[in-house]
Amino acid sequence: MTEKLLTKHFGTENLFRIDVYLKLNGYQSARKAVLEMMPEEILNEVKAANLRGRGGAGFPAGVKWAFIPKDVQKPKYLCVNADEGEPGTFKDRYIMNHNPHLLLEGIIIASFCVGINTAFIYIRGEYEMVAKRLEQAIAEAYANGFLGKKVFGSDFHLEVIVHRGAGAYICGEETALLESIEGKPGNPRLKPPFPASIGLFKCPTVVNNVETLSNMPFIIAFGAEKFRRLGLQNDGGTRIFSVSGKVKEPGIYELPTGISLREIIFNHAGGIQEGKRLKAVIPGGISAPILKADEIDIHMDFDLLIEAKSMLGSAAIIVIDEDTSILDVLKIITTFYSHESCGKCSPCRIGNSWIHKIVMRIKEGKGEKDDIENIIRLASNMVGKTLCPLGDAAGMAILTIMEKFMKEIESCIEN
Amino acid sequence: MKIIIDKKEIIAENNKTILDIARENDIYIPSLCNHSKLSPYGACRLCIVEIKGRKGYFPSCSIFPEEGMNIKTDSPKLKRLRRNILELILLEHPNACLICGEKENCDEYKSTIRKVSEVTGCVLCPSNGTCELQEVVNALNLKSIRFPSLYRDSEIRKNDPFFDRNYNLCILCGRCVRVCHEIRGVSVLSFVYRGSKTTIGTVLDWNLHELGCQFCGACVDVCPTGALTEKSKKYEQSPDRKERTICGICSMGCELEVEIRNGRILSCYPRKDGPVNEGQACVRGRFALKEIVCHPKRIHYPLIRKKKKLEEVSWDEAIDFIAEKLKTYKGSQVACILSSQVSCEDSYVFQKFANNVLKTKNIGTIAANPDLERFSQKSDCELMSNFRIRDISKAKVIFLIDSNVSVSNPIIWIEILKAVSNGAKLVVIDSLRWPYSRQATICLQIKPGTESYLFALIAKLLLGEEQEENFPNTEYFNFYREFLSKIQMSEALEAIGIEEKEAKKTAEILNEDGLKYFIFGSGFTQYSWGISNLTSLWNLSLQTQARVIPLTFESNLKGVLQTSRPFSAMKKDFAEIYKIISDGKIKALYSNGPIPLYSKKSIEFIVVQDSFMNENLMVADAVLPASTFLETEGTFVNVEGRIQKFNKVIDPLGESRPDWWIVAQLGKRMRGKGFDYKKPSEIMAEIKRKIPEFKNVSYNQLKKGIEIFINHKETGEKREEKLTPLKLPPLLMDINEEYPFILLFEYNSDIYRGFVLNREIKGMKLIRNSRWIQINTEDAKKLELTDGESIVVESELRRFKGYVRISEVVPSGIVLASFLSNEEKDFSAAHMMFFSGLKTLPIKIKREC
Ligand SMILES: Cc1cc2nc3c(=O)[nH]c(=O)nc-3n(C[C@H](O)[C@H](O)[C@H](O)COP(=O)(O)O)c2cc1C
Ligand code: SF4
Ligand code: SF4
Ligand code: SF4
Ligand code: SF4
Ligand code: FES
Repeated sequence: MTEKLLTKHFGTENLFRIDVYLKLNGYQSARKAVLEMMPEEILNEVKAANLRGRGGAGFPAGVKWAFIPKDVQKPKYLCVNADEGEPGTFKDRYIMNHNPHLLLEGIIIASFCVGINTAFIYIRGEYEMVAKRLEQAIAEAYANGFLGKKVFGSDFHLEVIVHRGAGAYICGEETALLESIEGKPGNPRLKPPFPASIGLFKCPTVVNNVETLSNMPFIIAFGAEKFRRLGLQNDGGTRIFSVSGKVKEPGIYELPTGISLREIIFNHAGGIQEGKRLKAVIPGGISAPILKADEIDIHMDFDLLIEAKSMLGSAAIIVIDEDTSILDVLKIITTFYSHESCGKCSPCRIGNSWIHKIVMRIKEGKGEKDDIENIIRLASNMVGKTLCPLGDAAGMAILTIMEKFMKEIESCIEN
Repeated sequence: MKIIIDKKEIIAENNKTILDIARENDIYIPSLCNHSKLSPYGACRLCIVEIKGRKGYFPSCSIFPEEGMNIKTDSPKLKRLRRNILELILLEHPNACLICGEKENCDEYKSTIRKVSEVTGCVLCPSNGTCELQEVVNALNLKSIRFPSLYRDSEIRKNDPFFDRNYNLCILCGRCVRVCHEIRGVSVLSFVYRGSKTTIGTVLDWNLHELGCQFCGACVDVCPTGALTEKSKKYEQSPDRKERTICGICSMGCELEVEIRNGRILSCYPRKDGPVNEGQACVRGRFALKEIVCHPKRIHYPLIRKKKKLEEVSWDEAIDFIAEKLKTYKGSQVACILSSQVSCEDSYVFQKFANNVLKTKNIGTIAANPDLERFSQKSDCELMSNFRIRDISKAKVIFLIDSNVSVSNPIIWIEILKAVSNGAKLVVIDSLRWPYSRQATICLQIKPGTESYLFALIAKLLLGEEQEENFPNTEYFNFYREFLSKIQMSEALEAIGIEEKEAKKTAEILNEDGLKYFIFGSGFTQYSWGISNLTSLWNLSLQTQARVIPLTFESNLKGVLQTSRPFSAMKKDFAEIYKIISDGKIKALYSNGPIPLYSKKSIEFIVVQDSFMNENLMVADAVLPASTFLETEGTFVNVEGRIQKFNKVIDPLGESRPDWWIVAQLGKRMRGKGFDYKKPSEIMAEIKRKIPEFKNVSYNQLKKGIEIFINHKETGEKREEKLTPLKLPPLLMDINEEYPFILLFEYNSDIYRGFVLNREIKGMKLIRNSRWIQINTEDAKKLELTDGESIVVESELRRFKGYVRISEVVPSGIVLASFLSNEEKDFSAAHMMFFSGLKTLPIKIKREC
């Protein structure tokens, strides 16, 4: 049994209540950070932990925090990315639903470390119940003096605000998320400037994923060294894998970073349903290029997956069996992207909608000879040329399917 | 820093984008969403370039140079990528004509077939020939499109005045959204929906005129395609010539480019390089001007009254008739009214005629701000042209007082907004709440008429010994301090109607370092205690070293006032002229100004020299058709004292003639000396000799773009003016049970000579009708009034009619009418004001039955 640090207490009844959480030594880390540690110390610990962002890009959290300029007059903000829009991903929901105080503790630690007095939790619109639970938890934390004017009786002041999204995937992209909190349409901004220098309301801003922050209490309590030992040296800790698709036991699995994909699917998630054969796996949410059945002996490590021309992303594993037509996979992916492109830059907006149109036509049995060439051309037009990574990811995901399953698609068109 | 673009070494400034730098160096990179005046956007992706040592492609419009950057803007690969992207854009745009092999010859063979509003190709598009998309298609040499194209089938939005929106042609470059938000501060346009459904739209797809659009036309001017097009130009062919000139309606003096075909004006655009407006204008210059000049109400022939009827006559006959008549009056029996929208040359000749020939001292102009003149004289300060519009954007603190600035002085508003986006603090002080006030750092909605208290209170909060040195006169400083010490904080707050923390915050803002401006509009001096308001503000400005900017409205008020210098009489305002007339001493009146006259009173002979038929014609004995500023040349002096040359763009309409010419004819006929002018430049030569302020002016210099200002004080010079003793006005307005509302007037330049734009032009009536009487929602509810209902506004003395306009601009208890609300045969707001001698009135409102 590997050690769990995020989902450890998920079985405890009423864990979401602060009294239950406190009995399990809750808020000890945040208390320790605020009362006993210097921001520098915390930062060094988080840096040393090699905690890489769990939102998708895998940027080291400590390094990100260190980018925030120290001597600015302006306020600084923390935006917790709880948009969880990547298809296949549902881990943040579990954390917030079962253990909202773990996240709040992480927020307190991060905010104190960076010198932030206002934190927003940007939660996807569909998570209405979860948002309510969060608000309830926040109210409890305020009542206990863990949030508000004097956090744990210190001079540290922290407000936490829940901001609900309105159902756009793109608002999970950090700059679109900032626009959305500012009350504008959620379109990504040009980068640079990065949020660390010009973020929310033009102030320095940290954007972190829910899971990323939920690791903080452990790091403070047990130290970077132990955290690193749980997983990979350059990517410490555990990850919550959201496993879905044709496996026997879909769900979330908290496992050490670097575990092999095959092990997750066959040892933990129980293998493929009805004894069918595995056809392909999407290893990191729909944006991650697909892996064929013979490519799953790979360790779930950011760098190794990039080498394999895919990505770890949000660690959402979508399992596809032999009965599933690849055209259906393509249809789902292109429907998603043509619907979710923000519409700002032309290659992504028009490219995705056209690929989708062509795929739908093939689906209807009206495929034409040069469809494949056209899809490839439209998709390559996105890769590397769009404003934000959405278009990039869409292009890559589609291209990879075209490349790896060309034969199957060709036969779909012919028949 | 040094960078390399296409192997060429270039010295680059770090605040310019790679695209701009490339352009400056004559390197072409195709682009569509980029616009030099707007923030980088990076959406169309046509401008992608490669950077040595970096992976991927970068939009040059959003990338800034770094030392040693090595950029490649052109390669077969980039060309291919760009073509691919352009192809994508064209998939959703009618593209048949764009890639037609015959397009070069097309113009020759087709006559105009642009009589449909559904555009399915360039030949049917109003932007054909000026479209940036066509330009890019040609530059990239795109010849075929490999997909079937898609027509969005979006309904064409035609319900707004002045321009239509056809989103079937839109390429979603977002320029319109950005210009409306970033430059105009209006933000009525936005992206709606997302992904492939993305389009440009408004809140709930309402019409623009329902949402506060100013119809400035900025969005139309930046649109690279035919998606936004001026209605009246839609079906026109290309112009055969273009002329530049200055807009002569309001005091901004925007430089316009006028497109003409067969002697007819097609359209008026703001010029990008206009020194004042830099590509911006407003609804008056951009859209209305063309309608004004050719309006059916233009007077084409001289008219004289024969047997009670005005009849067309020749110039000779008219001039003879008038000369004969005018000869029979003594100077003291004649009054003259001079428009402040005629040129310096017109004004000079007019005054020379009044002074030397008619020998009258009763000359007035519709100086909207007579108090200002008086104050300037009294306190010996030059309030009139002490700033430059361009400097406003450098301000750190701006107080904007009693002004609907975005309507009355649009370009000043644009500069204020620039300052705000550069981090300036904007304090809006007004009893009315204009839409622009949401841009304010703090908005003090004071009770009407309490401005002087507010400024005294802030002065009190700020006063410290160290400020003594700002006062040239210690004695007065002591007096001032004592005066301020008597002000009771709580009483004053109560009277002004603001909270203590608001006052403190305002004082705090004013205490910050940096350039400060106090800008005030017509509302500030509209009370009978306008002078107190001015004094209070003036003293505060000395104390805090802020600059005071009075806004003026008519295009050449400053020029008219300056050209009165050689003549003893002048500077009588509206009210004074009225008073002289009603005293019964005046027997003859010569007016080229817009004062409405409804009855002759004791006057025997009235000459009206105007470009438009209006109510004055009912009482006129002779009417002389004057040309508009597009039909002659001359100079205007704008709000900042800038002298600008405007040019003749079309020939005078009908028999109309320039004002200077008409008056000179009369002058000669009445044996006046020195009226032998052949052209305006001769008049300017004379003005130069007579008036030192004009000594540097020459048409040639002005044409070359040399900037000449009148009486200009450099921003940042130490202020040395004196403090002025202040008397605080009475606090209460005389409202009572019978007359429970206060009537305020809005004054702006929605007027050109005798032509009220927001009464005569349909589109303008839709956005700001001169007959609207604005009433707060609550008040309307109480009085059970609904939008658009006819009502009568009544004071003790007078009454006038109008329509209810329920509005959030006015707070409860206040009613707002346009100063220009004069209606034929009816009394105007202006009349009401001047006859009563009061500028704010207690009134009651009745439903018209
Ligand atoms: C199209 C798009 C969607 C994204 N959606 C999410 C999301 O739903 N949740 C999330 O945490 N990060 C999402 N991200 C990643 C964020 O941009 C950002 O990298 C992340 O929130 C940073 O947090 P971390 O460093 O803690 O991972 C998305 C990125 C893109 C490009
Ligand atoms: S890549 Fe897609 S989602 Fe990203 S900015 Fe462009 S259109 Fe929007
Ligand atoms: S006309 Fe002016 S105010 Fe109206 S939408 Fe266009 S830019 Fe905005
Ligand atoms: S309407 Fe014109 S300016 Fe606006 S986004 Fe479309 S093409 Fe661009
Ligand atoms: S009326 Fe004034 S702001 Fe409008 S275009 Fe003319 S000069 Fe410019
Ligand atoms: S001009 Fe650079 S992306 Fe459009």
